Amino acid sequence: MTDTPNELPQDLPEGASKRLAELEHGLFTSDLSVNEFLLIKEVGFHPVGFVMGSSIYHTGIQTRKWGQSQELTKLTEAMYNARELAMTRMEEEALELGADGVVGVRLDVNYYEWGKDAAEFIAVGTAVKAESGVSHRNRLGKPFTSDLSGQDFWTLMQTGHIPQGLVMGTCVYHIAHRGLGATLGSTGQNVELPNFTQALYEARELAMTRMQDEANELGASGIVGVRLEEKSHQWGSHTIEFLSLGTAVVKTADEVTLPRPTTIISLDN
Amino acid sequence: MVVPDEATGDLPEAAARRFASGAFTSGLTVPDFAACLQLGLEPVGFTQGYSVMRWQWYGMSPMGMGGFGAQWGGIRGYSDTWSCPHGMVSAEHRSWGQNYEQAWVEDAWTTGFTTAYGRMVEEAASGGAHGVVGVVDTCQPLSDMGVLEFRVQGTAVRVTDGTPPAAGRPWTTYLAGQRLTKLIEAGYAPVSIAAATSSVRVWANCVTQYLTEGSNSMYGGTTPGAEITQTVTAQMAARQIATQRVRSQLGHDSLHGAALTTTQRELGEGDAEIECILRGNRVRRFKDFDPMPGPRPTVRLL
Repeated sequence: MTDTPNELPQDLPEGASKRLAELEHGLFTSDLSVNEFLLIKEVGFHPVGFVMGSSIYHTGIQTRKWGQSQELTKLTEAMYNARELAMTRMEEEALELGADGVVGVRLDVNYYEWGKDAAEFIAVGTAVKAESGVSHRNRLGKPFTSDLSGQDFWTLMQTGHIPQGLVMGTCVYHIAHRGLGATLGSTGQNVELPNFTQALYEARELAMTRMQDEANELGASGIVGVRLEEKSHQWGSHTIEFLSLGTAVVKTADEVTLPRPTTIISLDN
Repeated sequence: MVVPDEATGDLPEAAARRFASGAFTSGLTVPDFAACLQLGLEPVGFTQGYSVMRWQWYGMSPMGMGGFGAQWGGIRGYSDTWSCPHGMVSAEHRSWGQNYEQAWVEDAWTTGFTTAYGRMVEEAASGGAHGVVGVVDTCQPLSDMGVLEFRVQGTAVRVTDGTPPAAGRPWTTYLAGQRLTKLIEAGYAPVSIAAATSSVRVWANCVTQYLTEGSNSMYGGTTPGAEITQTVTAQMAARQIATQRVRSQLGHDSLHGAALTTTQRELGEGDAEIECILRGNRVRRFKDFDPMPGPRPTVRLL
């Protein structure tokens, strides 16, 4: 938990500033469900506004060697920077609202017909603020971000943890094509292809390590809800982006007594 | 499950760096994470194992993979023949049919699965884990590269104040969260995941072809309602083989949460390939059942 930074965001569109200014007068917008809203309130937070950030990014090209598995670092950087820009702009909107954090963050990539090799990276979520007035910003002085739902946020708080940030790591990897000799050599056999295995393994581990590095920068004690996504986007089947995402958390209480599980009968439909 | 006794030492360098880092990673959902903490399980890290296999001639049964039907010899395991009841012999009439186990497919699946599983366990062991919870395994084509990738992932955990597992080999389970809690409350501890596959090829005879193709068949007319005995027998055999294989992995332990998936791939003219995969959790009783309190009516805020 740190104090609010003094500097204000610089590159918000005029429409966003106007919308956020209206929200500062007490009205809030949110994409939380009613149950999520109730649970966010129950743990002492109040939604202050629906926030978003986007970046349209030209991801460019990078030459690949047909027969060599390798990371495409330029593409990795592009995919990472574009998401980071979208996330930062969303955080700026949250800062404008004086929020402590953003919950239910969704990070999407959209491609349009008018932009070959260009993609729109969008981050949206609901900014929340602690009702107690105590700052819950992360150690970089920014509102925490998290892709947790309201229910998950409530449950996490019961375990004595609080989110620090939505952390991610990415790795764009080119998987080598197999040569004719190698293909013919294993004809008629179902055998492991160690080069493929190691290349994919390495790519996923790189993505996860980068995600973990982000968490370490935030001083997090762990990352929950890790997801590993894989997409070829528009690069063809042998080039794959491995994206690792999760919510970095920090322990706020040493001793937490979790309630003992009880059996229930659900009265829901 | 056959797990390699020794670490194979082929973990990527990035994996070792990730485990040496400060923050833990967990693929568990938040409710599962909370339930694990309640049980005294601390997440160590998200663990993964992979194996990419060249996968071809699936169902073609070339000689190099164990024979070309019973008449060629080399079939291993289940085999059953079906004759024509009509007494017709022609090039177009399928006067003979056969169900047979495709051992080469099963062997390849077992190799891919156990290799990926072994690597996940190795990764967990290298992180000092006592067990792996919430295991998820998949087997799917890798883009359009003509290869299959076996993936086994889970969250490595350490038991608070617990002792390391025997021989340093972590236990594994598909369960996590409330399902794992209930299992332990019931007095059972996870030992390992158990999984096996079976693959049976149906080489249809005339009756199977006729019943499968129905009124559009070359024989014309309407199709009477009747059981397709050859296909049903193949399905029963496939399920039985998978069940026996998993049973042989259990020793004196029990299987909990068994899930049997059956996939039938139609190959035309009544021919088919049937694949069964049985997954479950090998569990061992460690205490008497503690009766849970009676259920409480609850409205969930989900």
